[in-house]
Amino acid sequence: MKLIYRFNINNGLFLLFIFLLLIGQSSCKAYKDNTRIIIAGAGKITSADPAQASTFHAIQLISAIGDPLYRINSEGKLIPILASNLPKISKNGLELFIPLKENIYFHDGTKFNAEAMVFSLNRFIKIGTTNYILDNRISSIEALEPYLIKIKLTRRSSSINGLLTSINLTPVSPNAYKDHKDKFLNQKFIGTGAYKLTNFNSHQQRLEPFENYWGEKAKNKGINFISLSNSTALFAALRSKEIDLLLSNSLDEDQRKYLDQMAKKGELRTGEGNALEIGFISINTSTKPFDNASFREAIARSIDRELISERVSYNSRSPIRTIVPSTLAGEKLSPWPKYSPHIAKKLLRELGYCRNKQAKVDLTFRSNVPADKLLALTWQEQIKRDLPKCLSITLNGLESTTIYRQLSKGSFQLVILDWRGAYPDPEAYLTPLLSCKKINNATCEEGEAVNSGSFWGSSLINKTIKESEFLNGSKRLLKLKEVEEYAAKNIPYIPIWAITPKAWSQPNINKPEFDESGYLLLKRLRKVK
Amino acid sequence: MNRGKELLKYSFTRLALAPLMLCLIATLVFLLLRIAPGDPVDAILGNRANEIAKEALRQKLGLDISLWDQYINFIKGLINGDLGTALINQEPVNQIIAKTLPATIELSICALILAILIGTIVGLSGTAKPEGQIDFLGRVYGISTYALPPFWAAMMVQIFFAVILGWLPVGGRFPPTLIQPNGSGFLLLDSFINLDFEAFKGTIRHLFLPASTLGILLSGIFSRAIRLNLNEVLRTDYIQAARARGLNKSQILFIHALPNALLPVLTIAGITIASLIGGALLIEITFSWPGIALRMQEAINQRDYPVVQGIVIVISSLVVMIGLIVDLIVAFIDPRIRY
Repeated sequence: MKLIYRFNINNGLFLLFIFLLLIGQSSCKAYKDNTRIIIAGAGKITSADPAQASTFHAIQLISAIGDPLYRINSEGKLIPILASNLPKISKNGLELFIPLKENIYFHDGTKFNAEAMVFSLNRFIKIGTTNYILDNRISSIEALEPYLIKIKLTRRSSSINGLLTSINLTPVSPNAYKDHKDKFLNQKFIGTGAYKLTNFNSHQQRLEPFENYWGEKAKNKGINFISLSNSTALFAALRSKEIDLLLSNSLDEDQRKYLDQMAKKGELRTGEGNALEIGFISINTSTKPFDNASFREAIARSIDRELISERVSYNSRSPIRTIVPSTLAGEKLSPWPKYSPHIAKKLLRELGYCRNKQAKVDLTFRSNVPADKLLALTWQEQIKRDLPKCLSITLNGLESTTIYRQLSKGSFQLVILDWRGAYPDPEAYLTPLLSCKKINNATCEEGEAVNSGSFWGSSLINKTIKESEFLNGSKRLLKLKEVEEYAAKNIPYIPIWAITPKAWSQPNINKPEFDESGYLLLKRLRKVK
Repeated sequence: MNRGKELLKYSFTRLALAPLMLCLIATLVFLLLRIAPGDPVDAILGNRANEIAKEALRQKLGLDISLWDQYINFIKGLINGDLGTALINQEPVNQIIAKTLPATIELSICALILAILIGTIVGLSGTAKPEGQIDFLGRVYGISTYALPPFWAAMMVQIFFAVILGWLPVGGRFPPTLIQPNGSGFLLLDSFINLDFEAFKGTIRHLFLPASTLGILLSGIFSRAIRLNLNEVLRTDYIQAARARGLNKSQILFIHALPNALLPVLTIAGITIASLIGGALLIEITFSWPGIALRMQEAINQRDYPVVQGIVIVISSLVVMIGLIVDLIVAFIDPRIRY
């Protein structure tokens, strides 16, 4: 009996160890094709169709395999990509003429032309998941000449320029999509980008350089995109050198900090893009006591953004007092109230709090977003420190889908949200957060401000946004600045921080670069010695 | 009634009741999903879209019709074997299941083999000297693996073997630089059939950590069950009789005691297979294993009703089938069992 036991356990364990060792010895590196670059991200990509793409990772993928009509440069100006020149606008401002580049080919070998562009735009308008970003601005699209399209607008819109940079509008081959005019083609993508999509499943995508690409060619021999389902796996994959580059906004802050420290020591390279995502608190201005602007100001002045950014994100998220990212606003704006516990206390005293009465507010956060939870907890503690007798915050964590469902119903007093404009333009931040269709006594009853949970409406804001559509360049930006300054005085939101897209690469890969829209430029990645 | 007929009757009764049970499960899932706050439109568009866009999408997804009509459509589809299409990307649910189920089955089978192997070795080890040191260690092992939180154990294994030692991949199912072999979706089998040994080795390397973690965690249940049953069997009269006849210890243990002690283990294995197919969720999440549990979790987050419904129906069917098969095997092996 004893003999049997010894044989089983000792030999079993020994064999197990040998097996592990053997598997381990043919280590990960054996599988690494040195010519290709492996990129990992957290988001699973369910479709490679530009009409379906709505998540950061899907759009990141499409920006590598497709081209937009225009891109925006660091000064906020349009740069033609598939267009050969800037759009020409008719005198009444209702028609846009876009000339297209010639001799561009799709991945299937067919030619890109005006017909293909019209096909793709109409397809997006018809089935696009995010086609609401067009906001009924386009009435028709025509191919006037083989390389000239005309877009007819329903109303004047200077923000249409920003919209034309959207990667969702990337052209697809009419030939390849003829059976998918009105349905998604999830597993394939036939566009004009620097890479061809040669293999797709929701967890892995394989990109090969497109040999007939018209523009700056890929500097690497191919990309493998993989998705890992949690932050620890992503972090561990980069540390164990299993992947070449990590691209993720959802990485835990501690792990982000650790990777930054590694980058400082030269063990990794790091690059970041423009901070185009903002984190903010939406205030329901239609409920008491938030219908009082002084109370809202007191709340806004009670939040110590610097402290919160330091505690929650180790300063990787920049504190902001604006709802328009500075790269789009043309200058650094900070019109929203500054942290000042003294003014907050004074305002609350004037409203009858602080003596025997404490203002009690509910703060809702998305329980599936770790940074939101930490923000809520830190602010709660900071209030206890700064305004112990005046204000107290009760926290309420809910899953994000539930919050989005309840937001327009006015269920929350204060709720932590984030926003990334559908295209890089100030209007893509101001309109969705501030515009309102039906206003009753400064309360928005129907429109964007209802959907964002603030319920704050102002006819002046609507009027000024409308006026801005007739302007261009710096005059337009100035007009939009007026919009934000007016909103900042009324405080329907509390901007907290700007979130920067970041990537870390192994030392044998060059520094990751981002385009102005915040997407990683995959074609610039290359192996270095 | 003879025993064969008895078993046949029992099987038919169970099979006849299965559609009713599945219909009840389908109805329950359908209702629970709709009761849960939030809907697919909110999950797809988040807080970014206006009410008109949300309404348009709701209409496009067929969520604007009455709940009763949605239910009738779902049941009609189910009867015709059509589980519908995913709301998020319009992919047929049957295809989603066909892609993800093999990953889970592959992981479950490997984990179960390991669990039974380790569980049996540990369970047997204590029988040499009950209440001795080895037996004590075996019991501690059984309790510890049973009590360990799977996500924590998985993360520790991941950190040690993948990050610190760098021996094995952190997650995923297949090396990203290789092209996945086509076939059944069982990558071990497919790569073996295609004689693609690079792919075969890569699949084993990816499978090793999740399967061994899951296997070790499950082995505690088996070791405890084997130990308890074996101790009981070893005290029975017929074992005493075998000893009196002068049979050696190995013969008594392996030929006479173990087969009888394994009967309850077979039932446990059946239950474990059923729960593994639907529930290796934490392991799948930690190791980014693209199986059916991970897909279901994603579908729940996205409120993708048809995908959740489809997966639940398929898992329930499998559970019913496995339960029946295990019952029949146990009845076949043990003549004392009557249904």
